[in-house]
Amino acid sequence: MYTLGIDIGSTSSDAVVMRDGRDIIAASVVSLGAGTIGPQLAYEKVLKEAKITAEDIGGAVATGYGRKTCDYAAKDLSELTCHAKGIHFLIPTARTVIDIGGQDAKVLQIGAQGQLMNFAMNDKCAAGTGRFLEVMAKVLNVKIEDMGSLSMKAKEPVSISNTCTVFAESEVISQLSSKKDIADIAAGIHRSVAKRVAGMAMRVGKQPDVAMSGGVALNAGIVKALEEELNTSILVHPYCQLAGAIGAAMAAWEDIREEGKG
Amino acid sequence: MADIQKRLSELAAAVDNPKERLEYYLGQGKKVVGCFPAYTPEELVHASGMIPMGLWGAQTEWKEVKRYLPAFACPIMQSNLELGLRGAYKGLSAVIIPTLCDTFRCVSQDWRFAVEDIPMIPVTHPQNNANEGSTDFLVSEYESVLNKLSVITGMRMTDAALEETIEIYNEHSRLMQEFAQTANDHLDVITPAIRHIVMKSAQFYEKAEHSEIMKDIIEELKNMPKHNFTGKKVILSGITAEPTEILDILAEYKIAVVGDDLVQESHQYRVLIPEKGGSAVRRLALQWKNRKGCSLVHEDFKSRGEMLVELAKANEAAGAVYCQMKFCDPEEYDYPICARTLRAAGIQVLQLDIDQQKGSFEQARTRIQTFAEML
Ligand code: SF4
Repeated sequence: MYTLGIDIGSTSSDAVVMRDGRDIIAASVVSLGAGTIGPQLAYEKVLKEAKITAEDIGGAVATGYGRKTCDYAAKDLSELTCHAKGIHFLIPTARTVIDIGGQDAKVLQIGAQGQLMNFAMNDKCAAGTGRFLEVMAKVLNVKIEDMGSLSMKAKEPVSISNTCTVFAESEVISQLSSKKDIADIAAGIHRSVAKRVAGMAMRVGKQPDVAMSGGVALNAGIVKALEEELNTSILVHPYCQLAGAIGAAMAAWEDIREEGKG
Repeated sequence: MADIQKRLSELAAAVDNPKERLEYYLGQGKKVVGCFPAYTPEELVHASGMIPMGLWGAQTEWKEVKRYLPAFACPIMQSNLELGLRGAYKGLSAVIIPTLCDTFRCVSQDWRFAVEDIPMIPVTHPQNNANEGSTDFLVSEYESVLNKLSVITGMRMTDAALEETIEIYNEHSRLMQEFAQTANDHLDVITPAIRHIVMKSAQFYEKAEHSEIMKDIIEELKNMPKHNFTGKKVILSGITAEPTEILDILAEYKIAVVGDDLVQESHQYRVLIPEKGGSAVRRLALQWKNRKGCSLVHEDFKSRGEMLVELAKANEAAGAVYCQMKFCDPEEYDYPICARTLRAAGIQVLQLDIDQQKGSFEQARTRIQTFAEML
């Protein structure tokens, strides 16, 4: 049976179709989040890629910031629960998961069965989130997806002392005007995010293996900065961005099984 | 059922509009004294023939207060001082401010200079209540409060009046304890928000009056068939759990509150004033000596974590929500100890920021939903 999971974030919409809660049949990522046509596009794209229609879907679960706005999903689950499930599916040995989302950052502690044991979330502040990175990329006039590879060329990362996005922005501007190398600035920005998120990870307790989920995990610069900050290696699965949607599709399958329909 | 709803609505109206309660008592020719949190000796006010009324913050914009408090002072004190500065407490004959944390200490002095028309009566609790001299010290503090109250009333409170007040307060506390237990058999009627309203409402009533309302509510509840609640049960800990929007999100995810360790709620009622121990004032001071398991009471070895485990187990709660009052240092210090003890006992813990203000609750919703899914 096919189930669908959709993760409607603040800046992107990711959908996954799975068979019997085990095999990923199709996936789609659209860089438009809640309140846009992004979720609909992601939905249509994933069905097309899976070569199925809406009728073939046995159950759907929505997650993410816009989880309440999805009318075809039987239920919604928090993105933390879904990321825990999704990462456990992708990396069964992971016990600590760092998820840097568009407008928040989370650290999850998961049990051997993929169950969520504890979590920490940053609150009402853009520092240490994807939004912070976006703002900084704009100041550097660099595409967000290029920030990672750029920062890898750094020789002497600069120090960004302000955690507040607005002040950090002016700090970056002043670094630029003092002719600091752009790669060093990018690495400094990643360090600043990593410091903030590492503090949260220490609070939850960084049990190995440590993994990253969410789209920001594709930024190698952030992963490296976090590894240095936490003094541990971090596992990143190529499907890390889909972890939430995978968790949701798995939850939909579990519900069907519990109801005895599967 | 109709009656209980009527009684509950009365209490909700009082919590919604405390000003109306103030005007009601002023209209009766009574004097009203504002009592800052927490453990303010309101019995002394009551026995002096006045009405003590709790001041526990509000959802209000902070403007004037910015001249006196930094942005990182807790929301309760921000709001109380703001309302004082704006003249919203007009009608109060005085306020009593305890000095249980650094913020209190600043606010008491700010008030003295900035809110000139409402006299401020300070009271200092000996936070190390195990210390031998602590009761003597507190008795002398209460005497000084009484001296200041007598300036307002023009007469001195008698021991006999305080004896009577103590009986009224102890009866009220017993009723509140009974309500908390009875409510657990009726979690369909006593939702988290309603439970909070009932527990908080006593601050705006003369206690004998509130006791009468509570007797009706308890009786009505007992007459109703027990409800078989199938959702998840939690306890709350912290200073306050407000605004009610947060409690409504708990209900939305089928979470019931079956016990609390909130300073604003059960802490008010959980320790009775001892029957014996000397004069009435001394007995009142001895009540403080019996307090423990609170961030505002010094303990060499904190018992709060164990007390929370006991509370959760006795009420079959699977989780505890630690309602972290924003910028409240005493509570921040207690959190790691409580969380560790609770988790070791297999009880899930959620730390939830409380800033008392209206606004977006999306972050709180995600946290609560995640917690519900974890339980
Ligand atoms: S104890 Fe906490 S909530 Fe109470 S006044 Fe002090 S900082 Fe504020």
